[in-house]
Amino acid sequence: MFIHYLTIAWRNLLRHKANSVINITGLAIGIAACLLIFRVVRFELGHDTFHKNYKQLYRVVKHDAYPDGLVYEEGMPGPVTAAMRVDFPQISAISEVFSSYGSQITIPSGTQAPKKFTESSGVLFIDTSFFHMFTTKWLSGNASVLAQPGKVVLDKEHAERYFGQWQEATGKTITMDNQIPLMVAGVIENQPLSTDIPLSVLVSFSTLPPYGNRYNYTQRWQHSTSNHQIFVLLPSAVTPASINKQFTSFTRKYYDEEVAAKKTFFLQPLKDLHFDTRFGNMGDHTTSRTTLLTLALIGGFVVMMAAINFINLCTAQAATRAKEIGVRKVLGGRRQQIIFQVLSETAIVVSLALLLASGIAFVAKPSLSLLSSVPAAVALFSKDAFLFLLATGVAVTLLAGLYPAFILSGFAPVEALKNKIYQKGGARISLRRVLVVTQFAISQVLIIGTIIAVKQMNYIRQADLGFNKDAILLLDNITDSTSLPKVATLQQQLQQVSGVKAVSFCSDPPSSSNDWSSNFYFNHAAKDESFDIFLKIADTAYFNTYGLQLIAGRSFTASDTTREVVVNEMLCNKLGIREAKDILGKDIRLGGKWYPITGVVKDFKASSLREEVRPIALFSRKEFYGTIGVKLSGAGLSTSLAAIKEIWERTYPDYVYNPSFLDEKIANFYQQETQLAVLYKLFAGIAIFISCLGVYGLISFLAIQKTKEVGIRKTLGASAASIVVLFSREFTLLVVAAFVIATPIGWWLMSHWLQGFVYRIPMEITIFLLAIAISLLIAWITVSYKAIKASLANPVKSLQNN
Amino acid sequence: MIKITDLEKVYRTEEVETVALNKLSFEVKHGEFVAVMGPSGCGKSTLLNILGLLDDPDAGSFLFNDIEVAHFNERKRADLRKHNIGFVFQSFNLIDELTVFENAELPLIYTGVKAAERKKRVEEVLEKVQIMHRRNHYPQQLSGGQQQRVAVARAVVNKPKLILADEPTGNLDSSNGNEVMQLLTELNEQGTTIIMVTHSEHDARYSHRIIRMLDGQTVTENIMI
Repeated sequence: MFIHYLTIAWRNLLRHKANSVINITGLAIGIAACLLIFRVVRFELGHDTFHKNYKQLYRVVKHDAYPDGLVYEEGMPGPVTAAMRVDFPQISAISEVFSSYGSQITIPSGTQAPKKFTESSGVLFIDTSFFHMFTTKWLSGNASVLAQPGKVVLDKEHAERYFGQWQEATGKTITMDNQIPLMVAGVIENQPLSTDIPLSVLVSFSTLPPYGNRYNYTQRWQHSTSNHQIFVLLPSAVTPASINKQFTSFTRKYYDEEVAAKKTFFLQPLKDLHFDTRFGNMGDHTTSRTTLLTLALIGGFVVMMAAINFINLCTAQAATRAKEIGVRKVLGGRRQQIIFQVLSETAIVVSLALLLASGIAFVAKPSLSLLSSVPAAVALFSKDAFLFLLATGVAVTLLAGLYPAFILSGFAPVEALKNKIYQKGGARISLRRVLVVTQFAISQVLIIGTIIAVKQMNYIRQADLGFNKDAILLLDNITDSTSLPKVATLQQQLQQVSGVKAVSFCSDPPSSSNDWSSNFYFNHAAKDESFDIFLKIADTAYFNTYGLQLIAGRSFTASDTTREVVVNEMLCNKLGIREAKDILGKDIRLGGKWYPITGVVKDFKASSLREEVRPIALFSRKEFYGTIGVKLSGAGLSTSLAAIKEIWERTYPDYVYNPSFLDEKIANFYQQETQLAVLYKLFAGIAIFISCLGVYGLISFLAIQKTKEVGIRKTLGASAASIVVLFSREFTLLVVAAFVIATPIGWWLMSHWLQGFVYRIPMEITIFLLAIAISLLIAWITVSYKAIKASLANPVKSLQNN
Repeated sequence: MIKITDLEKVYRTEEVETVALNKLSFEVKHGEFVAVMGPSGCGKSTLLNILGLLDDPDAGSFLFNDIEVAHFNERKRADLRKHNIGFVFQSFNLIDELTVFENAELPLIYTGVKAAERKKRVEEVLEKVQIMHRRNHYPQQLSGGQQQRVAVARAVVNKPKLILADEPTGNLDSSNGNEVMQLLTELNEQGTTIIMVTHSEHDARYSHRIIRMLDGQTVTENIMI
């Protein structure tokens, strides 16, 4: 019996080739998209779940109350660890880690030039208790080797990168940041890729304090950096709430009352580390659960659209299959048998689609790392992916197959044989309309999303940042005591390179992810201001290099130390000073000293456009110039770049040359948004394609169904154009109905998304008009071919057939 | 074999009520060959549908082998139908996606006959209607007469006690039509009861008895000699 069904199903597929192609391609593309989304969602959701104590692990975080809201921070002051070990005896283990991003690792290689590597992440100062809390596998050595200073443990990947084979690594010496000699004391297995605590180069924590200045690690309670994080393992009897409560007395004990009132320490579960966007982590990104949910929904919608095509085409085709069903029933086929038959046919189509989908997903997989944070090394197919495909297959088969199966098997045999089913299609056609409207609505929501996301990203790219980000090359500057004297010569040499317009030494460019801020006093007040000021430390060439505009006063005088300060408009606003010139000559206290304000610079965007402009102070101080900005003219770029590299490497022979362009760095602020915009485009494309397939299938069916009507109309003198209108009118109405549904949903979703940007495009009516125009155009194009063909057919022929 | 008494069937739409069968009664014995004749709209097809258990009457009694079947549900009707009744239609009603062999095999699949037995029996009937040489062709590759012979083969493959034929020669030329009538006669001579709806006096002459209908009632019954 089953073989028989397979045979007839296969022949049906071949017979209705167009239908089969529509069904299989549509489904396959939908499922492929879904499979890739599944990979992304699984990857994101799986972060750090491999740690055996996953549910018992917490990170200590804090927020500080400011007049304009809470500021969340994952970084902890240096002395907290020791204090907690004393004050919280009920916590089973406490571990502190200190990350060093962009550290340089140098491997001596005998007589040859040493090998140099820059590690963007995964370099941690780490204590031994970490390994009792988190899951790692030791290939060589054990946690106790990190008890002494000067020891380092590598993961297998880095051990192999540095020494060829990991077995060679133990006992060798490496140098960190050209300063710290470290002996390799152990090797651990590579951590899974889905972790926010990447472990690559693990330096014993006791190595850190002597180099505290270099890494900004202090034992001051007032000072914290996000690089220093503390994790705790709670025994099952201890609740995080009880610890949070005890933190109140903890802060009171170590801070004076006023500070303690504003400061709240609390525990963040490890399971939130990847999803709580209020905090950063040591991996390369956080992902909000909402984003994942949106992705999953989009995937679900796309598959639903493909299933809708299936239902529409099957029920439309039902009329032409009526005779077969009639015969089967007359010959004794029971309803269940017919249902089973239709479902097995669906299953075959779905299986073919699954196969094709796996192929498409496999081909598309390499592009996935461009669109998401999933590393290329994450495999597409695994046990869970197969289970997912199987589940999708079963779900789609039932979703797409059950309704047609009930329709087909419900035919009364006598009427089916007489082909009276055509006339009785009224109710079903309205269901088909509902389904088509659903499809159009989904694609219109995605079209609206795409238009808005693309517009917003363009807006950001072209937004006036208040400074010039183009053609600026950023280089590292080395600021240790032996390198500092070289700065003057380096600046001179760089300026002489042809194509270089200006060279500025600074802490960071006007727009960066750097968040250096401080409390400050203004105009000899006894009390500091209620908000922090952000610091940009730079030489006088900074203004010219980045095109900052002074709107009052003058720049600070050139100096290697701090003598004068320039502030921005926002600081004046926040201090309630209306005219910028009124602030000139007033004093500002940063750190322990008062400095005169000599100028006011026009506001510029110091961070991403998601955030407000900040109050900023600019001043000079040579030791903090970690960055060199080189403004290029653009002509003879490659020779300029080569010359700059040569000069830099000659000046700093022990360091790795890491050039970057400012505009690219700024674009990186919006990496997730850019990816989202691309994703929207992609899925809108897929959705449009699938709904086009569906519309094409339906119009083909409608053309057959209306053959007689068209024949009669033409006999009575209807023009070809009026026939085309007859066909298009229906679909136009459906598109408009879908628009009515899609607009509020699209508006709601996208205004929500735009909330994330302080600088955003307005929600204009033209966006929505554009969306419906696109939908109508696509629907008309899809319909027109069949409609024109039907309108040109000879009426004599179409009438004869009936 | 068949006894119907006061059978009634009325088709209703919102505005019109059409009486298709009006207290119709007659009897058909085992081994009979009965022709039902009458003008379009006299209720012949409705009668055949009810006799074939494809439709149910609104009132009256329908005894099939002395069992009252007028009130059977769809499932019981399907069971009774597949074991006892074979159908031959004017428009053949072969499934286009199945070969000659597979079309003839279909009733056996629904009655759950094993594959080896199916092969034997299908080959037997295809020999009988002389279409064996076309067993792997599809219906649209055959002439009308050949298609109807396949339909007859399909109707008899299950060895039904009753064959219902709805204008079996209606779409055929006279020589093909005669061949099909010859086939039905042979089957009847081997013991199968046949009820045939026809417009053709010529075909009706192959039968033992002609029931003439008008407006849902029998008008006359002619016994053929």
